[in-house]
Amino acid sequence: MIKYLATASLLLAGAYLSTTPALAADPGITDTEIVIGDVEPLTGPPALLGVAASIGHKIAIAEANAAGGINGRKIKYVLEDDGYVTARTIQGVKKVTDVDKAFALLGISGSGQSIAVMPLLEKAGIPTVIDVAPVKFLWEPPRKNVFVVGQSYEEGIIHLVNYLAEKNPGKKWGLITQDDDYGITVRDGFDTVVKARKLNVVYSGNYKKGQQDFSSDMLQLKESGAEVFLAGGIIGENIAMMKELEKLNIKPVVGIFWPGRVEPVLKLMGPAGDGIYAVDYVEPFAGAAGKAFLEKAKGLLPEAEMKGINRYSMTGYAAAKVLIAAIERCGKQPTWACTITELEKTKNVETGIMAPISFGPGVRFSNQKLQIMQSEFSTLSFKPVN
Amino acid sequence: MQYFMQLLISGLAIGAIYGLIAMGFAVIYKSTGLVNFAQGEMTMITAYIAWTISTTVSGNVFVVALGAILAAVVLGLIIERVVMRPMLGEPVFATVMVTIGLAVILRSSINFIWDAYPHGLDVGFGRSIVRIGPIGVRTGQIAVIVTLLALLAAIWAFFRYSKIGVAMRAVAADDRTALLMGISATRVHALAWAASSVIAGIGGVFFALSYDLSPAMFQLGLKAFPATILGGLDAVLGSGLGGLLIGITENLAGGYLGSGMKEVAGFAMIIVVLMVRPFGIFGERDIERV
Repeated sequence: MIKYLATASLLLAGAYLSTTPALAADPGITDTEIVIGDVEPLTGPPALLGVAASIGHKIAIAEANAAGGINGRKIKYVLEDDGYVTARTIQGVKKVTDVDKAFALLGISGSGQSIAVMPLLEKAGIPTVIDVAPVKFLWEPPRKNVFVVGQSYEEGIIHLVNYLAEKNPGKKWGLITQDDDYGITVRDGFDTVVKARKLNVVYSGNYKKGQQDFSSDMLQLKESGAEVFLAGGIIGENIAMMKELEKLNIKPVVGIFWPGRVEPVLKLMGPAGDGIYAVDYVEPFAGAAGKAFLEKAKGLLPEAEMKGINRYSMTGYAAAKVLIAAIERCGKQPTWACTITELEKTKNVETGIMAPISFGPGVRFSNQKLQIMQSEFSTLSFKPVN
Repeated sequence: MQYFMQLLISGLAIGAIYGLIAMGFAVIYKSTGLVNFAQGEMTMITAYIAWTISTTVSGNVFVVALGAILAAVVLGLIIERVVMRPMLGEPVFATVMVTIGLAVILRSSINFIWDAYPHGLDVGFGRSIVRIGPIGVRTGQIAVIVTLLALLAAIWAFFRYSKIGVAMRAVAADDRTALLMGISATRVHALAWAASSVIAGIGGVFFALSYDLSPAMFQLGLKAFPATILGGLDAVLGSGLGGLLIGITENLAGGYLGSGMKEVAGFAMIIVVLMVRPFGIFGERDIERV
């Protein structure tokens, strides 16, 4: 009798494990579906990056689903809005992990928000690929389950300032930054090059987040005689600064950073936005890779979402491609442990819109190659300069 | 001197926008005793509607202006009828909280109805630069200063000479007595909301002309509120002048003391002024007889 019961129990256990193996192991996976969660700012001014990044994720997911999903399982994308409010990011991550039972995460919101949810992500152990706001804290020290696609803000600024310094030797410099963690990072990168190259900085301003009128700041810049200007605004701030410079009838060499390198900005800047230098690690839309990306998106996205595409859609697409490929390599029964191992093995993954992506043992940051671009008002586009 | 003049003109231009929105605050406060924390958001919605008219109906400046004014009237009336009138007689705290809730809803609606991208309002006017010697100023900036001054004069005349203006003043002074005199307080409230929406909306449209439209535009309300406190929460004309003062102070502080002082200067001035005149420069002292 005992032998009979033991055999029956083993058979039942075996049957249960064979029918729902992944369900028993990790959440967010059934025989037909894998859930990928995301938390982004979808409302308020930062929606410009949150909506675009989520569109990038959607393109990669739609592409994978059109090709049959991940080893036969369709990907379900669960997206939460945090409104760029850190408390809501934490709530959002809890919701997608605890309620929606996500198998993996993409995103996540801005730099401050990603940093705030890091303890939660580490504790949960859920495979996560961050693509919106790459800051060093996210990969230093490396966390087992958190991977970052992109390049650090500081490195980006160093690359841009070095380029502009080489092109404009002996010129006077001006800088304005926002009074938050983003602005501090920009300033740190700038100061690194200033120290190394002994640049002559004649104007250094710091504006309050949300400032919309830059008339006195740009007048000060003019009075200082700055010839090269690093505009440390994001979107609206840079537009306002360029318009003020036009009004003041001066045209210094201007550099902007990638959060502001979105094409619609050029239309708003008008002729004042012509010839602006920018740094980025994704391809410009004016190039062959950018055009191919837009063409791909057309076939996979509803028409209404096409207008939301910008550079953040590219970073989102690349991160989702890397995550999907890692889950796929785990075969029929993917687990968190396997996905993390496979993410770590990511080597030279081609996305077509940035340099190949690689991670490695203890390496959780893809360290993308940077390139300098210059704006062209006549075509409202950015084009590579080197 | 040229540096000073450039700061002054830019300060007047942005101050005129603050002033218009501040007048919107004061019109509602004067008529209903309520501080509308959704003023910046109403300003933004009107500007977005103006942009929509310019891109879908006609880019003609008169069509856009008329459409935006009508839209602002409708917006003000809808808010008063649907949201504020049911709150009549409720505690002031609850009513103010309703305006805060309204602000959040209107702010979020931008992304749902339009998008998060900045847009330029192009009506073939306002963007060109006029050079007076070495000083550059956009036509839109000149227009907003002139509009504010014209509105200040018109509103003074309206409250002084028109029947409706006198009725509004009566309701503000004592709504129960006004009711006994046959004045409909609800009608006066509706008119105040519509007028406030239009005045602030004009400020929003001028801001969009000179700068751009973006979901961050509601923050203009945060700048205009100190202006109305400075001028006097119950002083419509004073609020307009308060806006000019804030704009000029901000710009001069930013130009002479540094970028960081720009945002602080206006508030520092308010603290000093309120210590001397707690009811604002042009506000009326609230006298209670016991």
